[in-house]
Order: sequence, then structure tokens, then C-alpha cells
Amino acid sequence: MKLVIIGKGGQGVIFFSRMIAQASAQKGLMVRSTEIKGMAKKGGAVEIHMKIGEGLSGVVKRGSADLVILLSEDFTDYAKIFGDKVFTFTSEEIEKALSSVPMRYVNTFLLGIFVKKTAIFSCDDFLKILDDENKKSFKKGYEYVQSSTRNSSERRN
Amino acid sequence: MSKLYLSGNEAIAYGLIHAGVRFISGYPGTPSSEIIPTAQKIIKDKEIKAYIDWAINEKVAFEVAYGASLANIKGAVTMKQVGLNVAMDPFMNSAYVGTVAGFVVISVDDPGPHSSQTEQDSRFMAMAAKIPVLDPSTVEEAFEFSKKVTQLSEKYGIPVMLRSTTRISHGKALVEIDDQIIKQELNTYFKTSKEWTKQLSRFAATPKQRLELHKILNGKIDKIAKENIPCLFFNGEILILSSGVVFSYLYELVEEYSLQDKVTLAKFDMPYPLSRDTLISLTLPQNTTLSVISRDSMSREISQNKEKILNINKTFSRIISIEETYPVIELQLNTEGRRNGIVPKEGELLPEVCEEILENLKLIKKRKIFNIPPLKRPSLCPGCAHRIALFAVKKVFGKKAIYAGDIGCYTLALNFNVTDIVLNMGASVSLGFAFSKAFELGEKSQDIVSIIGDSTFFHTGIPPLIDAVHYQVPFLLIILDNKTVAMTGNQKTPSTNKNFFGKTLKPIIIEDIVKSIGINFLEVIDPYDYEKSLTIIKEAKKFLKERKEPAVVIFRHLCINTQEGLKNNPKKLVKIIEELCKGCKFCINEFECPAIVFDEGTSKAMIDKTLCISCGCCAYICPTKAINPV
Repeated sequence: MKLVIIGKGGQGVIFFSRMIAQASAQKGLMVRSTEIKGMAKKGGAVEIHMKIGEGLSGVVKRGSADLVILLSEDFTDYAKIFGDKVFTFTSEEIEKALSSVPMRYVNTFLLGIFVKKTAIFSCDDFLKILDDENKKSFKKGYEYVQSSTRNSSERRN
Repeated sequence: MSKLYLSGNEAIAYGLIHAGVRFISGYPGTPSSEIIPTAQKIIKDKEIKAYIDWAINEKVAFEVAYGASLANIKGAVTMKQVGLNVAMDPFMNSAYVGTVAGFVVISVDDPGPHSSQTEQDSRFMAMAAKIPVLDPSTVEEAFEFSKKVTQLSEKYGIPVMLRSTTRISHGKALVEIDDQIIKQELNTYFKTSKEWTKQLSRFAATPKQRLELHKILNGKIDKIAKENIPCLFFNGEILILSSGVVFSYLYELVEEYSLQDKVTLAKFDMPYPLSRDTLISLTLPQNTTLSVISRDSMSREISQNKEKILNINKTFSRIISIEETYPVIELQLNTEGRRNGIVPKEGELLPEVCEEILENLKLIKKRKIFNIPPLKRPSLCPGCAHRIALFAVKKVFGKKAIYAGDIGCYTLALNFNVTDIVLNMGASVSLGFAFSKAFELGEKSQDIVSIIGDSTFFHTGIPPLIDAVHYQVPFLLIILDNKTVAMTGNQKTPSTNKNFFGKTLKPIIIEDIVKSIGINFLEVIDPYDYEKSLTIIKEAKKFLKERKEPAVVIFRHLCINTQEGLKNNPKKLVKIIEELCKGCKFCINEFECPAIVFDEGTSKAMIDKTLCISCGCCAYICPTKAINPV
């Protein structure tokens, strides 16, 4: 599987890649990645390519990513050159994360949302690698998707 | 054994320590900077006796680590590719003199370039110096090759280079690492060997003895070249030679497009030195089988494909070298490649570029081209003291002054017109000298300001300042002192008072150096004190006019990208008063703080609170006084 994660410095691009790598390694899969950080540290572009269970290099060719995880809408056009399937968090999801858990666990809350919505990994894959506090936040995010999708489907009915 | 998710640089650090290297020096430079901190962490965690720390510049780093190897401690030096230029003198020389304990030169290239002045190829430099060079294709190989280069150096008594690139050094993979680190006997000696007289003729060789040393070096290189055999993959008529990460891209593409019976890939772990016989043995029809080298270092994916590694018994229709970034294999074996236009002469050979090469060779059909949209240019961090310091300089000296910049975060001041030229480390001071003298010769008056960071000043800024005082050349030198090597990830500078172990170091005071050279105008100021900054720069300008000699202003403020810097940074909330904002974009174009954004809807500037660190600096800059402290 080929993944590309794009965002600004400080948005959790490196966190997401590390979590995905750990979860994959836990399953016995080879993980390779490559990281390009811009010159500027705060707010600069960060781009990570990942290959899970395939390839020799971490570089993902343009147009070949199975999924692009986009953390900043500033890079929407750029994200599309890697693949058609682009995953983003909605502003409601980000607000929910900010209001539900302390700042330092916001990323794990969002990770929970990501895992539930994409279904690439199972919930267990991550529960194995997270500590207790992060687990709680992760589960909250994971369960938020269930409840919110239920809510929206109810509304549709 | 543990499986660790390591970057190429981290893998190199583990490899060196596992190979018994106990003396590592270097100078930070993207993409090489993480090797030394990782090695420091390993020796701290595992309580290993070693010296691992930064040097003032690459030349010193090289000499220090190489010297340790001459005293029988295995040594290594780390740097980025342009750093090798600074270390070129001892680099060339060390090949002649040879080593006592193993000595490894790690030079990390930056094809692209992503964060460098040039795309130069360190393998090419190794070839110029007659130093063997290994070029890992994967992160795992970065670990394996770090051990291999040390062994090769020990075996032949010659410095060996490990060349990496951005994609390997900043790539990551799961690497299997032995938990046990073999205890290394540290048996230091120099001048105590029985054959000291003989040793003296190489350590302090006269030119006549140097000829002899050159002959010995050539002998070593010939021997190593003969043993240097590539590993072959697949079974096609077109032979493609490669090394480094480009091999990995090509391997992936051959599999993706099922070119296994059209292409044969030759992987050179060691792209220099190569023997002409290597190619003959690969090209001519022969009965002898080429031995399959044990590839325990290669990834599992390759080992599983071992059956595809074939013995050669036919001629190839074409032989092409595809390598980053200079024709090293191509020139040695005289193949096709860059010189006949098959391989682009510049730029990173990303998978997309390798694909284009295969397309031009009619091996694959036309692919879809993706145009890359322009990305926002990088800017100094919100709250960075360099911004307000250089804004004050611009305020006094105006846009007509010549601003000679240097290598560091502050190069980004070119975004708001306070940098007109950037050459290489330390050149801001020499260029200040040059422009001042040149305009004097041309009988034209011209204000000249040189801008340099603290670490860059230590690195190579001091010698040109000595010349400037000696020849009484008037220009203003701004030293931006944030007490760290910020751009490469906040490594220590000689002004630090503690090393990574917490051991006390003697801090070197920049103003003491400046004073001792004989600078007669020297001021040190925190640039957050904007009004005082303006006064001092005005005084400096007046001094230059009257005295016709160089002046120095040191702007000192901790880097806000460090924990200590951010914690101690003054907090001054600001707000933009909408009625006063005329939408002139002066703050956007002439100050360029990422935390000030322009709202196209209202045509007003706004503060992005997620980025703003409340430094309060922007309160000084608005022409209509719309930005105010809360």
C-alpha cells in the first residue's frame, strides 16, 4: 500500500506516519517512508511518503498513492497529484477533537476518526501500540464517527 | 535483535557504533545532521566510552576525526555534500597518508536540491581524491554499509566514504539491529610504534615521499577495484548500471512494468573504484558464472527474488548508467547515460524521471504527466528575532543598500528584500569586503551590509573579518546570534556551556572575538528592543561614513524554535484595528510573518492565532499604526 501524508509543520504529519508505521510493523509488515520538510519549521510544508509491505524505497510516484492524507487545505491541489483518493478531516471533526480531549491528545482522537473512516487498519492494530491516555482519546475519536454517522443517517431518514 | 523504525541517518549512527567507531566529529548540514545526535544518544544509553561532538566547521571536523584514526581510534566525520568542499584539503591528503585505525567520511548529497546550493555528487569527489565510496540503496543498507566501510578502511588502511542522499538519510524503514554492542578496546598509540621512522615518512612526508605515497594509494585502489563486483538482477538485453537510491527506483519500475526479460540491472554497492575488466566480464559471452554475492544486507524483498539473479552468458544490446547526480559509473566504464542525453543532466532522478528514461528507451508506453502546482515559499518562523532585526536594518539602510546574506534561516530575509546575494558559508563577510572595495575602485558611494548567523560566523566568518579590519574596509556586519544552529535542527554552537552529557564547556564569546580583531564599532542588542536597534544601526551607519572601517552589530535573541527560547520569549499580545488597516499589504510583503494573513474578502490584514506566539514585534511596523498591543 502506498500512502502520502501532507500538511504543515506542527499539524501531526510526522505523528500520523509514526503511528501508521508502528501499527504496520506490529502486523509484521515492512514499512518504508521518506520525508521532505521545507526550510521553515513552523507552518512550513511537510510531506511524507509511505510504502507498506511493498517496494525498496519509501518514495511514492505521482498518481500512484492508494490514499493521500491531507491535513491542510492549503495543499489540496498538490495532494491530488499523488492520487485521486484524498482523506481530510472535516472542520466539525477537528472542532470535536479540540473540545473533547486535551491539546496533546488531539492527534490520537483524529487518528481514531481516520482508522474508523478508512478501515485500512483495525481498531486493535492501534490499541496495541498506544499508552492508556492515548488509548482513551483514540477510542473517543473512533466512537465519535460511529455516533456521528448514525446521527446523520438518522437525519436522512 | 531488535527491529527499529530508523531513518537512514539514525541507521548510519547505529552502524558506526556497531563497527567500533568511537570518535565522531562533524558539522550540521541538511540532510546529514541527525547522525551525530543519534550516535550521542546511543553511547549515552549504552554507557560507551567515546568522543562524539560537533566541530566548528567541516575542515576541523575532518582533521579531528582523522587525527583520532591516526592515533588508532576508529573515527568518522559527518557532513553534507557542500561541507565536503570545506574539508577538501584534508580529504584529498588523507587518501595519500592513509589510516591507522579505520576512518569513515560520511557525506550526504541532496539531489534536487531540496536544501542546498549545489547538486554535486560526493562520489565524484571521492573519485577525485581516490577514496573508495559506498552508496546505500535502502535504509537497511545505510546500516550495513556503515559497518562495511569501517571494515574496508581497516583492511586497506585507506579512508572510505559512505555517501548517502536525502531520500536515504531522511527515509525510514524497519532495521534489524543487534542489541549487543561489541566492546571496543581503545588502544591509543602514536609515535610509539617500532616502525616509527617508516611511519614518519608518511605522516610528515616530503614531496618526494608523497610520490611514493601516491603510488601506494594507486595500488590500494587497483586492488579494491578488482574485488568490486556488481550484483545483477533480472535477465534482459539492456544492461542498466546504477547505485544508491536510484537502483531501488529502477528495481521497483522493472517489477511494476514486468521488464524482467527486457532489462538487466547491475547494482554497484561501491560506485568507485571500478575496474574496466568489470564490464568486460559482464559483456563478453563467457562460460564462467558470475558469483552471486551474499545479499544478507538487502531487504527481504530482494532475497526472495534471488532466483531472478542470473548468470551472464550473453552480450547486451546497450549498456546505460543511471545514477545521481554525476556520471561516476558512466565515466569509469564508458557507458551511455548522461553524456549522450539519455539521463537528465540535472535534478533528482525520482521514480517519475526514471520512468521517463525507460519511456525514451521504448521500454514502456507513454505515461500520464502530473504538473506540480506551486507551493507557498518558506518564511521565517512567527516571532523569529531575525525578522525584526533585519526589518530595523532595512528601515535605516533602505532598499538601495547591498545586503550580502549567508547560509542560515535568515537567508529567507530575501523574501522581504533584506538579502541580495547568498553564496556559501561565511561568504557574506568576504562579499561585504568585495563590494566595498569594488565600489571604492569605481569611485561610487554604496552602503553595504553583510548578514551572518552565529554558527556561520564561527564556521568561516572570522577570517574574512580579520582581512576587513586589516585592510580597513567599511561595511556593516550584522551577526544574528540565536545561540544555536537553527536551520539544521538546533545543534549546539561554540557559545554553548554544556555538552550532551551535561559536561561543562567553555563558551566562546562572539564579541570578545570581534573586539580582539580590532573592530572599533561593536554593539550587542536584543532586536525585540526595536527603538534601540534603530538608534544603534543609525550610529553604525554614521561610523562607517566617518571612519572608513568595518562595524559590527550583534543582535542577540534566543531561537524561538527551541524550548528554552519559546519559554523565555516575552509575551505581548497584539490586535489589528480594522478601521486603521488600509489593506496596503506592507506587513505581508515587507515583514512577512506567517501569522499575519491577508483576508481577500475584507481586504484587511488578520492575525492567525494558531501561528502567532505574541512576540509583539509587528506592533512597530504598520505604516498606518493598525497593529497595536492589546
